[in-house]
Amino acid sequence: MTAPITRFILFRATPAVALAVLVGPAGAHKDPVTPQLLNSYQQVFMEQVRKGDLLFHGDAATEQAMDVVLSKTGMACAMCHPMTADTHPATFPKYQAQMAKFATLRDMINWCIEKPNQGEKIADDSEAMKALEAYIYWSQSGSVLNPGKF
Amino acid sequence: MSELERDRREIAAVLQQPGVHPDPSLRITRRTFVHRSCVVGAATVAETFAWWPLLNTLDIAYAAEAPFKFAWISDTHLYPKSLNTRFVEKTVRAAKEVQAMSPPADFLIFGGDLAQLGKVEELELGVEILKEINIRKVYIPGEHDWYLDMGKKWGELFGQPHWTFDHKGVRFVGLDTVSRGPDYWTARKMSPEERMGHMATLDGTVAGAWAGVGRDQLDWLQKTLANWDRNRPVVIFSHNPLYEYYPPWNFWVRDWREVNEVLKPYTKVTNIHGHTHQVLYNEIGTMRSIGMLATSWPWPYAPEGVPKLTKPMIRVDPGDHFDGVGWAKIDVSAQDKVEAEYIMWRKQVFAQSPDDYAKSIPEVLRPRIADNIWPY
Repeated sequence: MTAPITRFILFRATPAVALAVLVGPAGAHKDPVTPQLLNSYQQVFMEQVRKGDLLFHGDAATEQAMDVVLSKTGMACAMCHPMTADTHPATFPKYQAQMAKFATLRDMINWCIEKPNQGEKIADDSEAMKALEAYIYWSQSGSVLNPGKF
Repeated sequence: MSELERDRREIAAVLQQPGVHPDPSLRITRRTFVHRSCVVGAATVAETFAWWPLLNTLDIAYAAEAPFKFAWISDTHLYPKSLNTRFVEKTVRAAKEVQAMSPPADFLIFGGDLAQLGKVEELELGVEILKEINIRKVYIPGEHDWYLDMGKKWGELFGQPHWTFDHKGVRFVGLDTVSRGPDYWTARKMSPEERMGHMATLDGTVAGAWAGVGRDQLDWLQKTLANWDRNRPVVIFSHNPLYEYYPPWNFWVRDWREVNEVLKPYTKVTNIHGHTHQVLYNEIGTMRSIGMLATSWPWPYAPEGVPKLTKPMIRVDPGDHFDGVGWAKIDVSAQDKVEAEYIMWRKQVFAQSPDDYAKSIPEVLRPRIADNIWPY
């Protein structure tokens, strides 16, 4: 005669689970999002996009402010990649022939800085790297994710 | 529908009407299919890459009274030597190769963007390098040559930015498609360097639709062609393509409709242009159009609008600054043939398979924003 007990447990437990899903676990640190909050997240992102756009286009003042030397030849990223064309961020990580290794977008950014631009490599977790990445992904956000595609 | 899409539909409706083509003698012949890239790759590649006509052999009826060649160099984008030696090396190489042509070319056309930022030093460096070439030289300006001093130095060095001459039965015309950009600098109180900076950024949003021929120059073109037999060949040099390919990068002239009106009566018009730094071929109305390589660096194909008649150039190795760039020989033979041959310094010129074509991975791109919100 276990069936009635099972039914009882289910009956008692289901609303409790549903309630937990709705309000989150006890002690949740996160407030429900509001339009204002979302807007502020977006502003943080777009500020990175703006900085990345300027770095990508060789803006000397931004490079100086972020303490990076992305090019010593006058070349800027956007000279081969107008509007980030042919950067294909959605295909990383992938085997990258120039480096002969399985590479991330950050590896590729640094390769371009060092080889065609003859600039100075930047740290993977640097502010400049995050800004460049933000700009490239933002500009290409309509492209289809296709990791590994040559 | 976006503005770009509307423009595209309009150009298709106006210019690509059924039955309107360049004169049949201008069409690409069977001979064009026999090319080493086709011989090597045709059997194994996907359909659209296997049979598209190649650019290097094109026929023009009534072309030449005597055989001759001419050479094209453009888009050297020279910086001062102290900053960038790679662009100098490649310009020097192109100049040496043109000078070494045997038999020699009848003339060199330099198709614009000799300098990167329009500086006196850059333009003079270009003149110095091109001194290597002893044949006749003619020049048209690019936007990079012009917007620092509004063409002052360029004019001192090279004279009128538009001109015409007849050579062995062909009427040649040089057009200035760069100097009539709308004024984006006065109201913003820009310095000449800032003005040049915006113009020198291909994907910038500030300089806007600067490429155009202009009413005055169109009138001049009409007069220039008025006494020319409509069935004889005309070759028009311009920095920008004379059709609409991709306006956000000024891969067009904004008054392409008017240009088409002026050229419509002439059945054998060939436009050879720079600015796009890539292999391009198109037919618009009765005109065909050939895009030339830069010596400096290749631009990627635009995310949309690549002419269907273009057999795309091969994917470029960005680690090799001699790849994807070069110059061109144009050979006009006594048998009425014009051969435009890309001299690319590495690899094959044309993509052999879809994977060799950078646009085999589609991209959807947003235009940049920082140059609109930054306090310039």
